[in-house]
Amino acid sequence: MMKKGKYLAVALAGMLAIGGLTACGSKGSAGSTGPKESIADRYTPKKDTPAWKLDKKKKVTNLTWYLNADWWVNTDAFGKDMITKKLEKDLNVKIKFVTGDNTKLNTYFASGDMPDIITIDDMTSSTAKKAASWAWSLNDLSKKYDPYFLAHAAKKMTLDWYKLKDGKSYGYPNFSNTQDDFDKGYVNPTTAFVVRNDVYKAIGEPSMKTPEEFLAALKKIHEKFPDLLGFGFNSVIEGASAISYSLQDYLGVPVKTKSGAYYDRNLDPDYLKWVQTINTAYRRGYLSDDTFSDDTNGFTDKLKAGKYATIFMDGTTSQASALQSFIDANKGKKYVAIDGPQSTMGRTITLRNSGVSGWMNSYITKKAKDPAKVMQLFTYLTSKQGMIQMQFGIKNKTYTVNSDGKLAIKPEVTALQNSNPTKYTNTYNLGSFYLFANDRTLANGAANSNAKSVQQFIDWGKGKVKSNYLVENVAPDQGTQEAKNYSNINTTWNTSIVSMIRAKNDKAYDAAMAAYKKAKKQYDYAAIQKIMNQKMKQNIKKLGLKE
Amino acid sequence: MQPAQEVPNRKKRLFKADSLLGQWQLQSMIIPGVVFMIIFNLIPIWGLVIAFKNYTVTDTMASAPWVGLDNFKEIIGDQMFWQSVVNTLAISFLKLLIGFVLPIIIAVMIFELKDGPFKRIVQTISYMPHFLSWIVLGGMLISWLSTTGLLNQVGEMLGLIHHAQNQLIEPSKYWWIATLSDVWQNAGWGTILYLATMSKIDPTYYEAAQIDGASRMRQIWSITLPGISEMIGLNMILTISGLLNSNLDQTLVLMNTQNTAKAEVINSYVYRIGLTQGNFSYATAVGLGISVISVVLLVFTNKVAVKLNDDRQIL
Repeated sequence: MMKKGKYLAVALAGMLAIGGLTACGSKGSAGSTGPKESIADRYTPKKDTPAWKLDKKKKVTNLTWYLNADWWVNTDAFGKDMITKKLEKDLNVKIKFVTGDNTKLNTYFASGDMPDIITIDDMTSSTAKKAASWAWSLNDLSKKYDPYFLAHAAKKMTLDWYKLKDGKSYGYPNFSNTQDDFDKGYVNPTTAFVVRNDVYKAIGEPSMKTPEEFLAALKKIHEKFPDLLGFGFNSVIEGASAISYSLQDYLGVPVKTKSGAYYDRNLDPDYLKWVQTINTAYRRGYLSDDTFSDDTNGFTDKLKAGKYATIFMDGTTSQASALQSFIDANKGKKYVAIDGPQSTMGRTITLRNSGVSGWMNSYITKKAKDPAKVMQLFTYLTSKQGMIQMQFGIKNKTYTVNSDGKLAIKPEVTALQNSNPTKYTNTYNLGSFYLFANDRTLANGAANSNAKSVQQFIDWGKGKVKSNYLVENVAPDQGTQEAKNYSNINTTWNTSIVSMIRAKNDKAYDAAMAAYKKAKKQYDYAAIQKIMNQKMKQNIKKLGLKE
Repeated sequence: MQPAQEVPNRKKRLFKADSLLGQWQLQSMIIPGVVFMIIFNLIPIWGLVIAFKNYTVTDTMASAPWVGLDNFKEIIGDQMFWQSVVNTLAISFLKLLIGFVLPIIIAVMIFELKDGPFKRIVQTISYMPHFLSWIVLGGMLISWLSTTGLLNQVGEMLGLIHHAQNQLIEPSKYWWIATLSDVWQNAGWGTILYLATMSKIDPTYYEAAQIDGASRMRQIWSITLPGISEMIGLNMILTISGLLNSNLDQTLVLMNTQNTAKAEVINSYVYRIGLTQGNFSYATAVGLGISVISVVLLVFTNKVAVKLNDDRQIL
């Protein structure tokens, strides 16, 4: 027994040693012609029929899909719920998801052992810019294996935007909003100035459009509801975008100067007038200091409890459930969007949503074992049929079509989501797989949606949402000195804007603004602006903008 | 430490070749450890070359272009980086000042307690914060330090605070908040090593001291503290060599736009500028710089500690 134990220990030691040493990799080869894999024995591609319907391949294709997003939690549910099960059956594939961060992505590149699909979240990153070296172009793949993708599934403007220097597109994003989407009113607003309806009623529903009216209304709220926070906004601890970028849009501050150069909106007089107004409100005690130290959870908790009388809210749809729990706990009370702070110079209100870049972009790598199959998957997910399936599920099983043509999710599905979320996730999981979610028409087609609490906000913002392609991705390239300087200027601005709002006197206000101006000088803003101007020109050329 | 002559004779033969071979099964147990060190500690040193390259996600160590000392020049010319160095040193020194002495005091106090439920409760409660992650602790602190939080409420009750203030957005208070919250989290845990060492002190020393009429304080001063002096020295060396390694988790949860200027530490700055923007080379260059300074600190502290410890080696 003793002897056996000794040998076992040695064997174990040896195994550990060998196991550790075998972690090596091979170098990947790079070529720029399309993939060699032939599909002649499987199907003949047709322009008007998605290839997955034609493919006669019998064997299940195993695909590995890497997401450069370590927060993605949907990997285990994939293939279990009704809609992704149907996807795997239709395409005859089995998808395995792997998630990670830049370090893991780097390991793939360094070892050459690549997954079939890679999804990253920034088209301006060096990874995306070098896509031609590691991914197949969607143009080439579509021509060879699945013309339906270019002809019917993908959005043209999105593909154009994703073109690299060689004139081909490599990645395809989710939540990409094209001009067409904006023009047709498919794009929902995500910003709103909201008030608690009972509070607003109690103070006589005054206008809050001018600085004077705004302060007068907050004064009344302060007198009648001393326990409430008069005015609040999203968490600013990681960046003050809610009260800078979003408020500037709301006030209609332009993104370029008259001569077409990039405009530093932080120093716009119209916007600063409102910053001063909010500062006055702070000095009068209508804002709490906690607003500046709360993290996102802190903001959401206060929202659920109805702590704020008025809120300038960014990312309204992601607060839908918090708003709903306030409604559920307080009968008749809810937050409603009203016309909030308006330009003092007569500019029109502007609301934004994501641009044509979208959010996460997916690529088919050159190491894909069956590029034709992966292309079919892309087509499946980008096509209208796939969009509906991912968002609404399967006809008559999870949704019905109303007489007006709108899609309505069945009440029992929604009920299960509320009563048993775990079972819901394993059975339906509608809308959770959004890596190719793009078609806003479908979101608007929903007769009933989960986001009832923000529906009024969306209705209020109809017609106010405008595209902002001119300044999309104009920030200096990552890794450059300018990018680092720009980041430092923005860090200073985040401190300055909050200090300006919290200034106890004019001297402190001026000092905070001076700190921002000093940082702009110190970090050579002129050089950054030059790059941005160039990129704006490129955007005009690339997208054929008329500005 | 036991005197050398007490070591049994057979152990002395340990270094002779025949006995080494005689127990090769046991000796081979060290192989995984050695291999582990080679793979995870030695080979990665080669990775430091990327500090002198412009390395991106899609590169391999060999393919990235050389840039010489550019990354280091960038660091040296960056004011925000130096601001973070100042904050790191300030917070680390405060932590050293309070967080190093406090566990020793607590350990002595716990050691002096009679064994029993009270002692165990005190120990358990003092360990507890150590097991909470900074994500949880951060949420607690944000709420405790807010205008309606624990601190202001207690302060108002005692009449110490008249006008509720949010402490976390006062830049001048951040160093103390960071220090004290860290001490609160780790002081109890830090006593473990000291208590373990104290339990090894020969009780006859105390008995003898008592017979000689030494007071409680005298016994602590002349028996307990000398008994743990080596452990104190070791801890001192490890703590000082880690001076530049600030607490990233803590900083990320407690930092906000108002206290950035005092809260940004080297790690958080590198995280923000280096890693979130995929700038591996920059992050590696900073890491290399920190390592070099840390080694210097380690060697220096070791020298001092040895001097203080009657020329006996600690490391």
